[in-house]
This record gives sequence, C-alpha cells and structure tokens, in this order.
Amino acid sequence: MEETVMESDCVEMSGPGTQQEVADAWEAVTTALVSPGCSGSEQSLSNSLALLCSQGLGRLLGAWLLESLQTRLSYSVVPEFWAGLKQPENELEEKDRALVLLTTFRTLLECLEPFLGGLEKLGTWQDEGRGGLCGPGPRGLQDRAFTTIRALLLFSPSPVLQERVLEFYSRTFTVYMNQEGGDEDGAEAPEGPEGGSCPGCEVPTPQCWCQEALGHLQELSHILSRLQLLEWVSSEAVTSILHKLIEQRMEQHCRGEYERSFLLEFQEWLELVLGWLSKVFASEADRDGPVPAAPSGPGVQTGPAASSVLKQWRCHMHQFFCRIYVNMRIEELFSIIRDFPESKAAIEDLKFCLERTNQRQQLLTSLKSAFESRLLHPGVHTSDILTVYISAIKALRELDPSMVILQVACQPIRKYLRTREDTVRQIVAGLTGDAEGCTDLASELSRGDPVTLEMQDSDEEGNDPEDWTPDPTDAVPDKMGSKRRSSDIISLLVSIYGSKDIFIDEYRAVLADRLLHQLNYNTAREIRNVELLKLRFGESHMHYCEVMLKDMADSRRINSNIREEESRLSEDEQPPLSLSAIILSSEFWPPLKEEKLELPPVVCQAMEAYTHRYEKLKAMRTLSWKPHLGSVTLDVELEDRTLTHLTVSPIHAAIILHFQDKSCWTLEELSLKLGAPKELLHRKLALWQQHGVLREEAGGRYYVVETGSSKEKLERGVMLIDSDEERDSNTTTQSEQREEKLQLFWAYIQAMLTNLDSMTLDRIHSMLRMFVATGPVVTEMDVNELEAFLQKKVREHQLMVSAGVYRLPKSN
Amino acid sequence: MKVKIRQWNGVASWLWVANDENCGICRMPFNGCCPDCKVPGDDCPLVWGQCSHCFHMHCILKWLNSQQVQQQCPMCRQEWKFKE
Repeated sequence: MEETVMESDCVEMSGPGTQQEVADAWEAVTTALVSPGCSGSEQSLSNSLALLCSQGLGRLLGAWLLESLQTRLSYSVVPEFWAGLKQPENELEEKDRALVLLTTFRTLLECLEPFLGGLEKLGTWQDEGRGGLCGPGPRGLQDRAFTTIRALLLFSPSPVLQERVLEFYSRTFTVYMNQEGGDEDGAEAPEGPEGGSCPGCEVPTPQCWCQEALGHLQELSHILSRLQLLEWVSSEAVTSILHKLIEQRMEQHCRGEYERSFLLEFQEWLELVLGWLSKVFASEADRDGPVPAAPSGPGVQTGPAASSVLKQWRCHMHQFFCRIYVNMRIEELFSIIRDFPESKAAIEDLKFCLERTNQRQQLLTSLKSAFESRLLHPGVHTSDILTVYISAIKALRELDPSMVILQVACQPIRKYLRTREDTVRQIVAGLTGDAEGCTDLASELSRGDPVTLEMQDSDEEGNDPEDWTPDPTDAVPDKMGSKRRSSDIISLLVSIYGSKDIFIDEYRAVLADRLLHQLNYNTAREIRNVELLKLRFGESHMHYCEVMLKDMADSRRINSNIREEESRLSEDEQPPLSLSAIILSSEFWPPLKEEKLELPPVVCQAMEAYTHRYEKLKAMRTLSWKPHLGSVTLDVELEDRTLTHLTVSPIHAAIILHFQDKSCWTLEELSLKLGAPKELLHRKLALWQQHGVLREEAGGRYYVVETGSSKEKLERGVMLIDSDEERDSNTTTQSEQREEKLQLFWAYIQAMLTNLDSMTLDRIHSMLRMFVATGPVVTEMDVNELEAFLQKKVREHQLMVSAGVYRLPKSN
Repeated sequence: MKVKIRQWNGVASWLWVANDENCGICRMPFNGCCPDCKVPGDDCPLVWGQCSHCFHMHCILKWLNSQQVQQQCPMCRQEWKFKE
C-alpha cells in the first residue's frame, strides 16, 4: 500500500516530459524481467534501469514482480493446478495417475518459472548495484516469492494431493526396495496368478514401469525442490509411508519371535530405506544450483544440505522404529515374560528401544493389566502364578536393572499370592525341588553366593557416593529405598508375606511329612536342603529342622541297637513282628495330627517290647507311640493269589489284620475294635476294595474275597471307589496353625474390651498392631482375617457385635 | 486269608519320665532342652535330686555353682543331693 502511494507521489513530482520516457523504461525493464527470452540490448536495458532508479522507481520493481506473481497465482495458476490434479477421475490406472501428478507439477513449474527467473535476475541486478539498484538480493526476493506460492497453493489443499503423493511414493518405494534390496522382500511380493508380474510395480512384466517410476520420482523431487515445496508436499506422505512400512515389516518379522534380536537387522533395512529417502529428497542438495537434470543413482547426492536433511530423517526413522517396536513388545510382554530364558533377545531389544522412547508408564500399565487379566484369576494354579512371577523377576531385572518396573508391575501378583492359601506350600515345595515343572527355585537355592535374608540391614555397602543414581520417576516411594529393592528371587518370594517365619514353619511341616513317609532313614537330600536354607534364612531359624534330622539319625542308631539285641535272643523268643521306629523329639517337630487308633494286639505287644528296650537303652526315658503314623509293608496271601510288598498306612494294616481272624466285619464292629470313626474306616476300606481283597455287601458288611475271578476283576476296574488318593499330611494344616496363633490374641482382645467396653473392628486391629508389634503374625494378619476370627467368637457367644461395635457379653 | 507283615515302621516320640512338664529353673519343657543347648535328649539330660525334684542337668549345675554357702534344691530348699 505504502509503496503504491509513494509511486503516485513520484509520478506527480516529475515533469510531464519525462513521464513517457519513464513509462517506456518501466515497460522495457519489466519485459526483460518476466520474459527472459526476448530482451533488448544490454545497453538500453541499463539505461532504462538507470532512468527508473533516478525517478525513485527502482525499488518498486521487486514489489511489482511479487504482486503480479500473486495475482497470477490466485487467478489462474492455483485453480488450474487443482483442476489439473482432480480432472481425471478414478478410472485411470495407477501409472497414469502418477503421470497426471507429475504433469500438474510440471505445469505449475512452467507457469511460475518466468517469475522465478525474473526475481533471480532482479536479485542479481540488485546485488550488482546495477543502475544504482539496491535491495535484498535474489535470496530475499525468492524467499518471499516462495512464501507466497506456498501460501496460495496450499491454502486450501485438497486431499487428492496427499492421496496421489502417498500412492506415488509408496509405489516408488516398493520399486526402489525391490531393486536395491534384491530378493530380500521378494518372497512377500504377491505372485499374481499370471505369474509374470513385476514385484516392483505389480503389473504384468511386459508393462513394467519401474524405471519410469524412478525417473518420475526424480523429476518430481526436482520440481518440488525448485519450488521449495518438497518439505510441504512430501513430509507427511513420507512419514506415513515409513510408519506403515516399519509397522508392516515388524508385524511380519518380529511378532511372536522372541528368540533373536532384530535391532541389527532393522538397522540394515533402515539404511536401505534411507537410500530411497535420499532419492525423494535428492534435489534438496542442488536447490541453489540451476542444474535441471538431477544426478541419478544413490550415493551421488552428498551435498551438505541433503545430508543434513537425510540425517534428520534417519533420526526420525529410528524414533519411529523404537516407538513401534516398543509398542509391539509392550503388547506382547506377558508372553515374552512367560518364555523368558528363551526370549532374552527380545527383552534386550526392548530395553534398548525403551531407553529411547518415553514409554515406561505405558509399559507398566499394560503389563499390570495383562497380569491381572491373564494370570490373577481363580482359574490359574498357584504354581503357575509362581512360575510366571519367577520368570517376570528374571526378565524384568534384565529389562530394568533399577528393579523399579519389577517392583511396580509385580505388586498385583504379590498382593494376589497373599490371598492364595497354598502359596507358601508351593514356594516351599519349589525350594525343596518337589514341585513338578518348577525347578527354578531349587536351582536358585543351590546357586552359589546366596543372598542372606538378613543382609539387608547394612546401609552403606561402601558404595561410592558418586555412583549414586536417582530412582526413576515411576518408582514407588517407600521407606525401603532403592537399596532394598532386591532382585533375588528367593528373597522376593519370601517377602511376599513380610516374614520368613511362616516359610520356615511351612518348611518344617513339609520336612516332617517327608521324614515320616520315609521307610529308610535316608536323609541326605533333606540334609542338603536344610544346609542350603540355613545359608538363606540363618542358622537359628533352621535349628528345629536340624534337630528333626538328628532325630532321624538317632532313630536309626537306636533301631540297629535294638535289632542287635533282638538277634541275640533265642529262636522262640524272637519277636513276631519286625518293628522299627522313628523317634521324635516332640518339642521340635511341628504339631502332629492326633488320631485315635487301637492297633491289633500283636503290634501293641511289639511296641511294648520296643519301648521296654528303649527304656533300658535310655534311662528315665520312655516312648509315646503315635499308632496312626508310619508305614507298613505286608503281603496278603489269598487262596488263589498273593499280593506282595504292599506298603500301606498303619490303619490299613490294622484293618486287614482283623480280617485275618474273621472274614466278615461290619463297619460298626470294626469301628469299635479300632477305636476309629466309621467315616474314616469307610474311606480306608476302599483301598482294600481296590486291591480286590475285600468286598462290601448290603448292610455295611465287608467280606474277604478269597477267590477272585477275572470277571470280577473287570467289574472292579469299572467300579468307582472314592479312595483317599491324596496323601494325608501328618501335620496340621497351615490354616489350623494360623487359627492357633490368632487364638493368642484373644487374651489381648478380651483385656481391651474389658477396659474400653466397646471397640470397632479397625480399632481392635490397630490396637493389636500397636501392642503386639513384635511377632510376625500381626503384620500378616489383615483386617478381614481378624474379622473372620471375631465373627467366629461371636458365633460361639464369646463376643457380641452390634452396629459394627464389638463388646463382651454382659453375663461375666 | 493270611497277612504277613514284613516290616512295621512306627512313629513314637520320646519323653522323660518326670513328674513335671517344665524345668523349674529355666521353665523350658523337659522334653526340649535348656537354654544353653541346641539338642535335647542325651545332650541335655535331666537329673533328679533326693527330694525327687528334677531339672535339666545344666540348669541345676549352674544353680549349684552359684550357691556360696549351702547347696539347696531351688524348689524345696532341702539340701541338694543327686539321686543315685
């Protein structure tokens, strides 16, 4: 605007005589600028220029040129461009669409070329100061012109452009990769039914336009870069192509493949892709140069501009790759963890990529929910949960040495395991190597250099303060601090419950079971386990177990002593029964199940004799037999067959011994004779029914089957008898033991209620925590458990509850 | 039918023939061991006095050693004599 005003001023100031000359000079100069072909002599041009400058019009030349460019653009070029692009509707072949795209851009360039040339020329004049001309030079003018072009052309872009460009680039990419990559991707190219289809352009080979496409690409790149539109037109398409292709390739190659690393492979592939990119952005390099024909072939374009653009794209690509890879692996992380030792490569890849993308939070959330939906529901066996947890520990400590991911992601597992009743039993079974399919724990236990569970108290491990690194931001702030964020599998498992006593108790129970079920006194394996556990849990905690093992050794010695004594007896004084015993130090064994059982006289006598000999051996000591424990090896001789070397429990033996005297017993009679409840006997009798020794008849009578025909055997095979297959544990169960421990608190609760009259559940819980903080039991006891316990007391009328408030009954 | 028992493995627990459950000195069960011992039984035996009170041997010896003037049973204050 301002310039227009100035122009009119100038015109007014100059005399009418010169006006015509000025107009002619203007005409000459502008013609020379816009149409490079027809120019007058250099001399006259210089004169005209000088005249214009002397009239103060020289500086208006640039403005005029831009103005006319703008007018031209908005009135004809831009509408033509869009019309040209849209004009052929969808009927065209892909190849032709590419051609249309190219032609449109060609036309665009043709239309704008005069102006660009003019600007350049003007700029040169300005630089030279020809005729006193001054101005921003070619660069400045062109920048403004390109801004105008961009603004007007892409002011309201139609999606057609993006579509076409995308299509064209995708095609040239395929073609390029096909040529450069050789047959690497060949297998994936769709083999048309005609067979002879070109893998690059996917048309029958005779019509292959691969070379043409690459030529087009070159030209298009050149035009776009000449108009400085390359970045604006191509970036989006290139980005989306790269994204799509990396994703595609990843889906094809990496999904479900955890056993090898893909980083290098992708690195190579990305380099190849970079070759294509260098073609797309080829002409960036010679943006300034007027060379119309771009150099062909990769590797030639090494101009500084090009390499910086390519560098940028390389970074982008790596970013894409990492992000896509991390996304995919996050999705698969559960499976990766499940397969852990085999999927180590995938974990390492993920670690590398995760460090480059900010997706830890995403990983945590997704892994947590995967655990919750796939693992932590009632349908999964506890041992399987433990197996996955162990793999997770191993995998995640690879992934994140700071253990934060492990700690946060596995929190739900730990919480859930706490609610499972058999968790401790499974862990202990794993530790002792009894659990099937779960050998990790046993091998972890026997691993050298164990982490003592006590060691966590030492605060300063002599670490260099300089080595300190802060926790990642997603760490759970807790008082434990990073020092205690252990990666040791056993300590992690044991700490699920917060105390190791519960594990040691459980181990004691398991050990008792195993020892009592042993026929020989062979304890080598148990001794080894106890020694290993001692390294973990500390000597004092395993003391009881050591005494138990010593009992076994002592028992063996006492047995051989007694045997020897017996062997010195005369023939007819020989005991009728070969009896050996496991002699326990009752204070050190876990509480054993009490069951009433009257053994047959012959056994009782043998036991008495044994006790007698023991008393002689150990002064002032005697034995208290546990008739229902132990095992018996016996043969059953029937009329037509003999069952030899059956190993049964004492109650089974007692039953069958009674049948020796009398071949028919009712349940009542047996129950009376054995002093055992009928239900128990009924279950135990099933074993002999299965062996075909006894048979049940109406009225609850059992008979000896002296002659077993094959037909009967067949029937027996079909007959379903609910025998107690599961091996009864000799020790009281964990829940019973807990009950006992809770009973300890009853005195506290009673005292509190006596003093404070009434309390709510939460209050009782927190008071117990406060007063009885020493033992491990309270910390493990959650409110629900306490509530269940109190409810039981209410049912037993030892407590009253109303409106959530507990009080003691008034009567006492 | 005839049943032949080849081997009977029984389970029993041993106990001291004493008239009390716990040691009057350390208050630990007789069938366990005194606080200084790890293993019960032979390694931590009981002894009886003529007054028929009994203690862990280690416990009563410690007690007797601490007595300056006269050696008495800690339970009944009679003179302590080991029962033969």
